[in-house]
Amino acid sequence: MAGPLRAFWRLVAYGPGERPPRRRIRWRVPAESAAQASATIFLVLRRMRWPLITVIVIFAVSTIGLTFIPGRDADGSPNRMSIFHSFYVVSYTATTIGFGELPDPFTDAQRLWVTVTIYLSVVGWAYTIGSLLTLLQDRSFRRALALQHFTRKVARLREPFLLIAGYGQTGRRLGRTFDSLGRQFVVLDAAEENIEALDLEAYRFDVPGLAADARNPDHLGIAGLGHFACEAVLAMTNDDEVNLAVTMAVALLRPDLPVIARTVSPDIEHRMRAFGTPTVVNPFDRFGDHLRLALRAPATYQLITWLESGPGAELPERGRPPTQGRWVLCGYGRFGQKLAADLRAEGLTVTAIDPAADPDEDDVVVGDGSDPDVMARADLDGAVGFVAGTDNDTTNLSLIAAARRVNPDLFVAARQNRPANAALFEAMEPDALLVLAEVVAKEVYAKLSTPLLWRFLQEVPDQGEEWAARMVDRLCGRCGQQLRTLWPVRLRAASSLAVGRWLGTGTARLGDLLRSPHDRDRPLAAVVLLLKRGDEFVLTPGDDTELRDGDELLIAGEPVARRAVDTTLLVDGVLDYVVSGRSVPSSWIWRKLSGHSRSSSQR
Amino acid sequence: MNLEKVVFGFFVLLAATLNFGFFIGDLSDPDVHNVYELFAAVVINLIATVLKFGDRTQIGAVHLATSLVADLQLIAAAIFWAYAAHISSAGLTGEATAGIVSLSGGALFANIVSVVLLVIETVSFQRR
Repeated sequence: MAGPLRAFWRLVAYGPGERPPRRRIRWRVPAESAAQASATIFLVLRRMRWPLITVIVIFAVSTIGLTFIPGRDADGSPNRMSIFHSFYVVSYTATTIGFGELPDPFTDAQRLWVTVTIYLSVVGWAYTIGSLLTLLQDRSFRRALALQHFTRKVARLREPFLLIAGYGQTGRRLGRTFDSLGRQFVVLDAAEENIEALDLEAYRFDVPGLAADARNPDHLGIAGLGHFACEAVLAMTNDDEVNLAVTMAVALLRPDLPVIARTVSPDIEHRMRAFGTPTVVNPFDRFGDHLRLALRAPATYQLITWLESGPGAELPERGRPPTQGRWVLCGYGRFGQKLAADLRAEGLTVTAIDPAADPDEDDVVVGDGSDPDVMARADLDGAVGFVAGTDNDTTNLSLIAAARRVNPDLFVAARQNRPANAALFEAMEPDALLVLAEVVAKEVYAKLSTPLLWRFLQEVPDQGEEWAARMVDRLCGRCGQQLRTLWPVRLRAASSLAVGRWLGTGTARLGDLLRSPHDRDRPLAAVVLLLKRGDEFVLTPGDDTELRDGDELLIAGEPVARRAVDTTLLVDGVLDYVVSGRSVPSSWIWRKLSGHSRSSSQR
Repeated sequence: MNLEKVVFGFFVLLAATLNFGFFIGDLSDPDVHNVYELFAAVVINLIATVLKFGDRTQIGAVHLATSLVADLQLIAAAIFWAYAAHISSAGLTGEATAGIVSLSGGALFANIVSVVLLVIETVSFQRR
């Protein structure tokens, strides 16, 4: 039946011979739990069977009994109640309304029976209502309801959305960033309290969240893995195994979707890469890379961190880590070893302190860093840098304090593990701070916000330190210390008549686009970072760059500038004004009368 | 032997037999249609309906539907009886009786479908 109907709609909506614009591909994504969720009503019904039968039986027995008891009518002659009357009496008695003895005063025999009825029916109702309330309180019932609610919300999503598995520190940071970018997302987390935290967050969108194990492909399915609007999947849990399972599930069930997975283990990273082409973010690895970049090219590092920090980020300070000398490293686990290798690769010497380190290794002091003796053996006086990199925040804070007491000139880097301790670390003012969640969140943001930003960041390190320093100065000069927004602009001749004419003249200058629509002599508070033409990329194109149809721009600047650029590209008269300086009448009639419409663009 | 199946079969069959017992006889003769039998049919039909709650199979859904139809018809018949016997000035006439009994006849048909379904279910279960 649905077939002809659908064909009819297709004919009405798209005309004969046309296909609907979006072809929905069916993926083999399971959604078993979704079917279970729709059966919540059956659960209620099944649990209510016995209470309901009890009530029916009590009513039936009471009613039928009352008709058999001898009574008396208004004249005093013997009479029995009819079924109708006795049902009426039982109904108002059982529901504790109690109208009295109707239609005639009862005989004592009838009163005796009604007394029994009262007690029976009260017990029956109490049992039924009690069962219903217990059912509503029931954990599995509530979970079934929540699942149903979630399934419905996800199925109704029409805008592109991200599927975030794991709503811990990293997930929350990402949620806030993407929300401020106006991007929808769906959250899946095994811990109930993380999902409850969703309600406390002031998101602009209603974010669907489900407390369920992301390892189960079923759960991924109902969280929108098979949904046509799903853009990408982020595996951001603390558990590498779970992230691996999510990566695998996506690669097998939706190979077309990009996956970004977090892991701290090179082993797991290797296994993830065996499935398709996921983007794997290893925060230890990335921090090492960043530190090396910071040592080699502080300005480049500053520019990259600023752009990666997301909308509204303040310009980070340009650190000056010592590039020569010896570093002391506390905590020589996975993170410590990775970091030490990176530092050594930059030509620095490293002394590591760890109670569980291998004593045969060179430059290793075995012992607890908080022990003054151990600290003395590491010889902090002769060191230039100190890293407090254990996985315990309290230890890290006390290590920093101890190290500064010995040598106040040290460059101090600290690792912060718990978000709650952010204030303490801020008060401690380390020269560099590592927050694992932040490293991952920044990387994911750079990767997903717009493809142009990712491309730009890839190009930055090759441009050299001086270029980066100039770039930072230029951004600061135009847009201030805060990077408000980064947005892509696509120039299409088809988008409006004026844009088509302008791009067609062959003299469309980039500089004209960045003039204020109110006063063309004033430039907008915006900087063009990247121009994409076909497969070519031009970094920071100059004002004289000629624009063509199909060009894409990445612009950084104030939201006001964004609106101005949008207006320029949308409204005919505004584009004419910023390009030529002439005010063109905005109505069609006046334009015809003044003969402006052609000449203005062909000056 | 499954006690649940016994109870289920018992109520489904009893609902049909009571309904049949009330229905049988001259359509418009009040003397051959006992109102207590109608009452019993209503009660047993309600119990049979509740017993069918929560079965998610296709056959279970049809089972529930037939029972709901029977309930509807029987309750309509009961209300009709109450109206004729107590409210209408004419009392329980032959016409009124015919109306009540024909309503219960509709319910009987639904109950027969229910019994047929029960038999089909049983037979297909045996074959497996």
